[in-house]
Amino acid sequence: MEKVRNELLQGTLDLLILKALSAASLHGWDIAKRIAVVSNDRLSLKQGSLYPALHRLEGRGWIEAEWGVSEAGRAAKFYRITRRGRKELEVEREHWLSFAEAMNSVLNNLEELS
Amino acid sequence: MSASKNERGEFWRWLRAKGSRLFRRSKAEAALDAEMQFHLDQLAAQFRAEGMPEREARLAAQREFGAEAAAYREQIRDSWRPPELADLWRSLRFAVRSLARSPGFALLAIITLAFGIGGNTTMFSAFRTISLKPLPYPESENLARIYRATPQNPEGNMAPADFFDLRRNANGFGEVAAYTPSDTSLSEPGQNAEMVSGLRVTSNLLATLGVQPQLGRDFRREEDLPGNDRVVIISQRCWQKRFGGRENIVGRTIRVDGEPHEIVGVLPASFNDWRHLGWVDFFRPLGFNKEKIADRRSTILRVIGRRAKTISPNEAAGFIANFGARLAKDFPAEDAGSTWRVKSLNATVTGSRAIMSMLIGLSGFVLLIACSNLANLSLARTMARAREFAVRAALGASRMQLLRPLIVESLLLSVAGGACAILVAMWGADWLAVRSTGDNGEQVILAFDWSVFGWAFGVSVVTAVAFGLAPAIFALRLKVNETLKSGGRSLTSGRGHQRFRHFLIVGQFALAMVLLAGAALFIRGLDELNHRRAGWESEHLVTGTIVLPAARYSDAEKINSFHRLVVQRLEAMPGVASASISSFTPFFNWNDIRKFVIEGRVRPPSGHEPAAVVNSVTPDYFATVGTRVLAGRGFKTNDDMAAPKVFVVSQATAEGLFGNENPIGQRLAQVGGDKLRWGEIVGVVANVKSVLPDPGPVAFQIYQPMAQEPQAYSEISVRSANVDPAGMIASIRTTMTALDPDLPVRDLQTADATIERANYQTAVLRDMLSGFALLGLGLASIGIYGVIARAMAQRANEFAIRFALGACVKDITRIVLASGVKLALIGSALGLLGAIGVARLLAATNPGMQLNAPPVLLGTTLLLIAVALLASWLPAHRAARLNPIEALRAE
Repeated sequence: MEKVRNELLQGTLDLLILKALSAASLHGWDIAKRIAVVSNDRLSLKQGSLYPALHRLEGRGWIEAEWGVSEAGRAAKFYRITRRGRKELEVEREHWLSFAEAMNSVLNNLEELS
Repeated sequence: MSASKNERGEFWRWLRAKGSRLFRRSKAEAALDAEMQFHLDQLAAQFRAEGMPEREARLAAQREFGAEAAAYREQIRDSWRPPELADLWRSLRFAVRSLARSPGFALLAIITLAFGIGGNTTMFSAFRTISLKPLPYPESENLARIYRATPQNPEGNMAPADFFDLRRNANGFGEVAAYTPSDTSLSEPGQNAEMVSGLRVTSNLLATLGVQPQLGRDFRREEDLPGNDRVVIISQRCWQKRFGGRENIVGRTIRVDGEPHEIVGVLPASFNDWRHLGWVDFFRPLGFNKEKIADRRSTILRVIGRRAKTISPNEAAGFIANFGARLAKDFPAEDAGSTWRVKSLNATVTGSRAIMSMLIGLSGFVLLIACSNLANLSLARTMARAREFAVRAALGASRMQLLRPLIVESLLLSVAGGACAILVAMWGADWLAVRSTGDNGEQVILAFDWSVFGWAFGVSVVTAVAFGLAPAIFALRLKVNETLKSGGRSLTSGRGHQRFRHFLIVGQFALAMVLLAGAALFIRGLDELNHRRAGWESEHLVTGTIVLPAARYSDAEKINSFHRLVVQRLEAMPGVASASISSFTPFFNWNDIRKFVIEGRVRPPSGHEPAAVVNSVTPDYFATVGTRVLAGRGFKTNDDMAAPKVFVVSQATAEGLFGNENPIGQRLAQVGGDKLRWGEIVGVVANVKSVLPDPGPVAFQIYQPMAQEPQAYSEISVRSANVDPAGMIASIRTTMTALDPDLPVRDLQTADATIERANYQTAVLRDMLSGFALLGLGLASIGIYGVIARAMAQRANEFAIRFALGACVKDITRIVLASGVKLALIGSALGLLGAIGVARLLAATNPGMQLNAPPVLLGTTLLLIAVALLASWLPAHRAARLNPIEALRAE
């Protein structure tokens, strides 16, 4: 499959991270990999930019971190979503869906009109 | 050039390495590194697994991770800090980097601030120490001096009889006490007698001031009377220095004026009122006998009162004025024409407030010059960065975002400048302490407390913001749009700010002119004072002061015979040409003011008789000090108690009193006393003039024979015959000690040295003025150099075109020089007005100084123009070296 790498829209990285962490606690590398796998590698992401986002979310109290041991046996920092993070995820998700729906409906209607 | 750049790079790397070691990286930082490294390693591992070689895998991992790992780190660090702090931190780093990029600007700004504010801060702390610091007395606002004002002296002293009248009836005021300076001799067996500064005081003086002795007791009421008065209270300083701070000092007997006295008390260290009383070490009771208490003529007592709390200041002043008026009516012979007045003790602080305010003002001038330098520098810098600002504004930076780095830079400069200013001020205070060292080793120590630090930093922040930031804002408002339009490059810079900078330069030169001219006038005036030898000759002359204690020299005959003995023995010394004793030296003020009537004339109303200062002298006085006898004769040995009273008058007195008449043979009598005692004028001598900046108010000088009115306080004068006078001092002292071992001779030295020492305080003032003037001149020349250099750089294109059109080096140099000199001239002309004002102020506070010297003003103007020429010549020199091809190609 051709790699269609879409630049991330501003503000969506936080949502992706929260979503990735909603199932399990992961370290940064796993989060990047998971986003890549789930999106079929269609979302382009400078992997380094994850970290400012992770620390920002941590600062807001939406996720928390803990040092653990990776599968390879190395020390790694694992992130886990907090209760406030879950709430935020819901809000952001609703927000995104309604935004996407609105965008879709505009695009579709315009198609019909033309 | 490139080598130095490399070196600089090395330096910064070294500094940064040092810095990061200094501030040990936090745990969080290390964790962050580990976390990101882990991710990188994983990525690299993944690429390796895809078959890439190690090296490429690493590079690919870095590519995938994002090249700006450092930027991510920075973002993360920001997220650890509260947002405002993160911004501030960024602005600070930015400001430091940006200042480091133009170290010349930063250095100049900091130096300018340091000296400008440092000088000002020194003056502020001096002002605080001298004028603002509260007096060391409880409820000092109730304390006041009470003066007996006469037409000659608005702050005159009181006669004992007047004072004791007041003290008996002082219930309309409160408590009154009096003192009189009385330096005393202290002699320990086997040592030369020494003069110590002392006061004779009424027994209630310390209680009136509210001071308790730290050891021992206060004076008792009965100790006011002679016979009970052989008691001494000493200062803390005297106790520590002379008596080693020994505990058992109270009760000890010492020899004062050759008589045993008992030390009854030691004052606390807090009693250190040098501002009023001087550095006094010995306090003794007045010890006036009945005759002295009834004396209504000798105005010798200084009166201090403590107003009762129930009496308002106005009531108290009214009471004193009434009391004086009543005395003037009751005793017209002595008190007519005098009025009494009250002045708060706080307002009488020594060290003229006018001088203090002037110094503060002049230090303010230095500060203003520094400020306008800063404004100029900041303006130039902002203009140079105009393109940077324009681009940032175009990219959407808000006004605040544009200004924030400027604000932070200003504050950074002000803090650095303020810190250096405090160093400068401390150095200034040290200098002042050394320069103010008194004869007894006391120094004026300026207090550095929080208010002084606060002042320094307050001034520097205000300065940096008002003079560093405001011009930048002003320039930005002008420039942002224009700069973008003109591509950040214009042939000549905007007229508005150019005019503003020229205005600053003119102002600087005006201020520098005021400072320089003021200092130059003062230096010349003081020099003239120190070398003024009007009416007498200083070569080969040695003088010294003796005070004959009343207890042992109780009557006129005892004093006279001692005086005769002294003159006889001194004149018998080898190398001595002549010797004399007089109540005053020819070169200081004569404080003995008396009123006279002339025989055969209508007597003026009481209190309005002509006044003259009187010097009582021994026969050889005129020969010894070198005052020429112009007509008639001097005094003879037989002009004594038994002979008729005689006077010698100065030339000015003769002309003033008798006009064209022959003064010789005219008869004068001193006003006061029961009966006029007429004396004949037998001679006229040359006028003498005081070398002090503040001469007495009375111009007429009258001499009378010492033998006809012997004085206990007197000056001995010895003129050597072609022998170095300084070498004779020791033998004069030996001769005097042989005559009376308990009698010290104070300030026994050449007349020249005495004069130099007397004008010492004035010399300190001179040095301060000179310091300010030099600072001002230095800062102003830095300022004009900066502006001209800047203007030249901006006009490089214009000059290139001129060169291309055939102008030669001389033409360009002339243009540049002319623009600098024009500014200097306008500034100097304006400053001249201010300089005349300062000269007036100095002349008013130092009436004895000659401060109107047009050549000095001319010289100062020339000096300023020379400085302007030099400061403009350097950039002109560079402009003339301009390569027109290069300058135009750069365009």
